[in-house]
Amino acid sequence: MRSPLIHRSPMPGLGLSMGITLMMLSLVVLLPIGALLLKGAAFGAGNIWETVNRERIWAALFLSFRLSFFAALFNLVFGVMLAWVLVRYRFPGRRILDAAVDLPFALPTAVAGIALTALYAPNGPFGSLAAAVGWKIAYTQWGIFIALIFVGLPFVSRTVQPVVEEIEREVEEASATLGASRFHTLRRVILPMLMPAALTGFALSLARAVGEYGSVIFIAGNIPLKTEIAPLLIVIQLEEFNYDAATAIGIAMLLISFAILLVINLIQVWSRRRIGYV
Amino acid sequence: MFVTPPLAGPPSAQEPIAAARRLTVLTGGSSLRGTLSALALALIGLGAAPAPVHAETLLNVSYDPTRELYREFNEVFAKWWTDQGNEAPTIEASHGGSGAQARAVIDGLDAQVVTLALASDIDKIAEAGKLPADWQSKLPHNSSPYTSTIVFLVREGNPKGLTDWGDLVNEGVEVITPNPKTSGGARWNYLAAWAWAEKNGQDPQEFVGKLFKNVPVLDSGARGSTTTFAQRGIGDVLLAWENEAYLALKELGEDQFDIIVPSVSVLAEPPVALVEGNIKNDEQRKLADGYLNFLYSPEGQALAYKHFYRAWDDSAANPEDVARFPKLELVGIDHFGGWSKAQPEHFGDGGIFDQIYVPK
Repeated sequence: MRSPLIHRSPMPGLGLSMGITLMMLSLVVLLPIGALLLKGAAFGAGNIWETVNRERIWAALFLSFRLSFFAALFNLVFGVMLAWVLVRYRFPGRRILDAAVDLPFALPTAVAGIALTALYAPNGPFGSLAAAVGWKIAYTQWGIFIALIFVGLPFVSRTVQPVVEEIEREVEEASATLGASRFHTLRRVILPMLMPAALTGFALSLARAVGEYGSVIFIAGNIPLKTEIAPLLIVIQLEEFNYDAATAIGIAMLLISFAILLVINLIQVWSRRRIGYV
Repeated sequence: MFVTPPLAGPPSAQEPIAAARRLTVLTGGSSLRGTLSALALALIGLGAAPAPVHAETLLNVSYDPTRELYREFNEVFAKWWTDQGNEAPTIEASHGGSGAQARAVIDGLDAQVVTLALASDIDKIAEAGKLPADWQSKLPHNSSPYTSTIVFLVREGNPKGLTDWGDLVNEGVEVITPNPKTSGGARWNYLAAWAWAEKNGQDPQEFVGKLFKNVPVLDSGARGSTTTFAQRGIGDVLLAWENEAYLALKELGEDQFDIIVPSVSVLAEPPVALVEGNIKNDEQRKLADGYLNFLYSPEGQALAYKHFYRAWDDSAANPEDVARFPKLELVGIDHFGGWSKAQPEHFGDGGIFDQIYVPK
């Protein structure tokens, strides 16, 4: 007899599917991150701190996280709008637009980077318009910002879309019958329902942007202290066969990201409690 | 999610290709168990290369700007090899940033031959035990079948009137070069500027610092910089491998760019070597030896000339290809104490190049 503490699920295959899940998770996610941490442990916390605690590295880390944050914020606003439009309105070309949202996932990031650079370089179609009024986009922080928006956009709209689909029109109609203005309905009824999903999308978009290398490297300019992203520093250390320093920067990024994601999770828990969703 | 792909510079696709080539395709049974075991076997198959069954294969791991050279060289060599009464070999070439390529070989990319931008990259492979430390003495001319140098590519008519290194630090001149931290070619650029400053009585460190302050974009590899300069229209001058400069002229139109040869430049010796540790049998060794020696044959040297490299033996080369190269003062890596000294001193962590960007 089995222990009474373990209730057999009426659905078969728990053991097998759990085994496969854990194995895949370990192989694909936990092992590489574990290997990184193990390598870092061998290097030592003091050495890691010494490697990372340099002005140029802080500058790159600050740049990466700051621009990723702003790009994720941009995606939060426009991703929610995009999801709303795609679900709520019917217009010609909607399905094509809906499919196009996923393209940043499918496109090799290097291709995206080269395409964006071609568009925003001073002699490109958008870049030349900007240059006419004295703006530079490619090879500045604006270029990095645009590339990070591009790679992160689908996360918000794709997490919010199903939630928008779930919202019943009756809720809005009830709000209107009770005399609320449209803005009031949006602010007090719709947005709170979307917020948990939107925050998840924000976190995903942020996380993706922080580690992004392929698309950013072509548009960034890569000038130390100005447009050098943190992942490039890792590549530079690898180029010198300096695996320890590369590991140190990798661990620094991992810790900062973990802290940020933790904060976002706490906000999510808080916002769910506040509006009564579980 | 925080995985940084181990790629430097333009993406080199050799790893996925290598993996795909080795993927053992199995047809699983109809049961779940059969499918799972087939999946498991396929996963194991990712790591194990099946024994070669037909003609010999050869993988040449090279750096970026040799793409065109080896595309043609591999064809000519395969034909010559078959004419010698051998079975037709399968020759593959992989290109990418020189350092990234070296790392791929250290980490297990099955290359029998490496043809990289810097001797120090091959030294690293030697340190990992894949080839003997004295590899550079095994082939003629320091194991460099062809050499190159660094020249300036400027826009047609040379609007800023740039003629030598000294002009590059002028106010308002934008210089395009890849990042010496990630590009072998860019290290030669830097050293060439250094050598010029030394010969012209300037403080080389200060001069090179000023030069890099004029660089608006630091691409990670030589090809990326060529694209930035030629296609995106950024900068007034591109510091380029001589062969890249000629290639840009050929591909993008002679009416758009001019080549300026400075008074002093570097003698860049991209070396080649046999990776002992990856040789599986005598047949493959024979093929790899033949391949490297053919680089030194009159035909191989003619191809190097044709692809804008300065080679040693012009007996079979087209005289036009040879006449293209002007004479100039060339400074070799020995002047800087060899790569084992120059690399850490100039390009290492906290080295002279890093100090250029230290915030004041």
